[in-house]
Amino acid sequence: MTTPPAVRTSDVWKIFSHDGLAVEAVRGVDLEIARGEFVVLAGPSGSGKTTLLNMLGGLTRPTRGGVWVDGEDLVALPERGLAALRLERVGFVFQAYNLLPVLTALENAEFSLLLRGVPADERRRRVTELFATLGIAGLEDRRPGKLSGGQQQRVAVARAVAGEPALVLADEPTANLDSAASAALIDLMATLNRERGTTFVFATHDATLMQRARRLVRLVDGRVVSDERTG
Amino acid sequence: MKLVLLLRLAARNVARNARRSTLTALAMVIGLALLVFSRALADGGHEDWIRGAVRLGDGHVVLESPAFARSRDLADRLTPGALAAAERALAAPALRPLLVAAAPRLEVAALATAAAAAVPVAAVGVDPAAEARFSTLPGKLTEGRFLAPDDRGAAYVGDRLARRLGLHVGSRFVVSAQGADGQIADQLLRVVGVFRTGLPDADEGLIQVPLATARQWLGTGAAATAVALLLRDSHDVDRAAAALGAALAGRRDVAALSWRAAMPELDSAVKLDDDGDYLMHGILFAIIGLAIVNTMLMSVLNRSREFGILRALGLTRGQTGAIVFGEGLLLTAASGLVGLALGAGATWLLFRHGLDYSALMKGNITMAGAVISPIIVPILGPAQLLQSLAYIAAVGVLAALYPAYRATKLDLVEAMKFDA
Repeated sequence: MTTPPAVRTSDVWKIFSHDGLAVEAVRGVDLEIARGEFVVLAGPSGSGKTTLLNMLGGLTRPTRGGVWVDGEDLVALPERGLAALRLERVGFVFQAYNLLPVLTALENAEFSLLLRGVPADERRRRVTELFATLGIAGLEDRRPGKLSGGQQQRVAVARAVAGEPALVLADEPTANLDSAASAALIDLMATLNRERGTTFVFATHDATLMQRARRLVRLVDGRVVSDERTG
Repeated sequence: MKLVLLLRLAARNVARNARRSTLTALAMVIGLALLVFSRALADGGHEDWIRGAVRLGDGHVVLESPAFARSRDLADRLTPGALAAAERALAAPALRPLLVAAAPRLEVAALATAAAAAVPVAAVGVDPAAEARFSTLPGKLTEGRFLAPDDRGAAYVGDRLARRLGLHVGSRFVVSAQGADGQIADQLLRVVGVFRTGLPDADEGLIQVPLATARQWLGTGAAATAVALLLRDSHDVDRAAAALGAALAGRRDVAALSWRAAMPELDSAVKLDDDGDYLMHGILFAIIGLAIVNTMLMSVLNRSREFGILRALGLTRGQTGAIVFGEGLLLTAASGLVGLALGAGATWLLFRHGLDYSALMKGNITMAGAVISPIIVPILGPAQLLQSLAYIAAVGVLAALYPAYRATKLDLVEAMKFDA
């Protein structure tokens, strides 16, 4: 039995209705991303990067076409199934970090593990290891408000990968960071990708991140205009 | 595990905005404290009405023949056999702890005649020793003394009746009534005491005489028309009536009648007052509930992005709503405990000796056979406290439902774009 790709789309469309007008944000995208890839979706604002990323993560459903994550047909999944998929097979990193302010860094990072009922010692082992890898050891008990932007984004990365998902989707993860923090974060994600085989798909404008991609998919007006393997 | 996590999130969200949570909780705390106090005051007032009325009347429960209850005719009195059955029923173990006193009475409609006038009255033969434990009438004395156990031919009369008949302590007058044999029987009585209850019916038309005198006068032998029972607690009426009903099962000549059946006007007055209270509480708690809904709804809308994140991380719509609902429950639980303690504590500390309305009450106020006391002692009971707690819990739960529902309905992607 062959292992399914981390993610696959087939003629996927997303059409929004805006003031009575149909806006085609994503137009017939076919994409296959294998496990362990480090892919960047690049393109100008409004090119459909984020919308495509949201569809890959089961945050929104395509208007038509198909999306499969780890072999699972997202279009056929009911709402609860999509929630379970997001919990178990997809990790997210957002531009605005989006940590839960009422939880500590450690609790944020182990959130999906808690929801999945992973035993406490296993949770702690995984998260402690990740915090060490990401250079945020010692910050476990701090709330997000007491962390710098770079530290918060590393906690967000720890949260995204702690559950060992098939796919990590990162939407402009470096947009709110200075260049040093940004470069460090990219290094860390590249390390996780290399050492753990975690699949990363980024939507970004960040040239540094694009340079580090091993595959660069360019979108314009909702269509894939180029798909290059760079690494 | 999930539930613990959701509750932890709910608890931290409650603690996170301390001012908002405190203000929301404060509305519930004050509402509950007021509810506890007003229920305690209302129950105290009702207990006072009931106790006042039953001690001047036929008790919490009265044992009498069902026929007498309808006719008030001496011919329908309790026979010696029925009286003996009633006494056996009163000895039932289930009843004894509830009972304060049992007073046998022989009541007849009579005509009181003195030199000044002739007035229709209710003449009641009573056991003076039992009445002293049972009734408040001996304490309403304005002149002379109450009946003594060895009195014969003595009378204890209402002050208005005494005035109409021109009677004083030591005066003699005649009462006439149809005796057990159907013939009119006269009895010469001597006034030993005059009372004033404030109830026109009693003060203008009641004469108490020793039971032995009444039995001899009416030729009934060892009979009575009723046995009036005073209980320790008005709330035990149904239990006592049920115990007596069971003990007297199968008898047609004697039955247990609660004060509610014997004094339907008073029962209606208590129920009306309760209904008025419930309406006021309903309005108060509807306002509190709306305030909670508003606050929680604002909180949900302000945290749209967080709910979006939670959904993105794998929470279902239901679990997201459960966090908001949990916040409502935690606020309600905390407010309930504090409100209960505050309401009960303040009621006990400030009003345990009673709330004095004397300055507002000019003269006697009577209602449905009861004299309203100017001092109301609030009653705090576990059942009533639990009822108040249930009330606030219901309001808290209902008020949390809509914001929780709204949290489940947020669009994930739109919610994540939200900037508070």
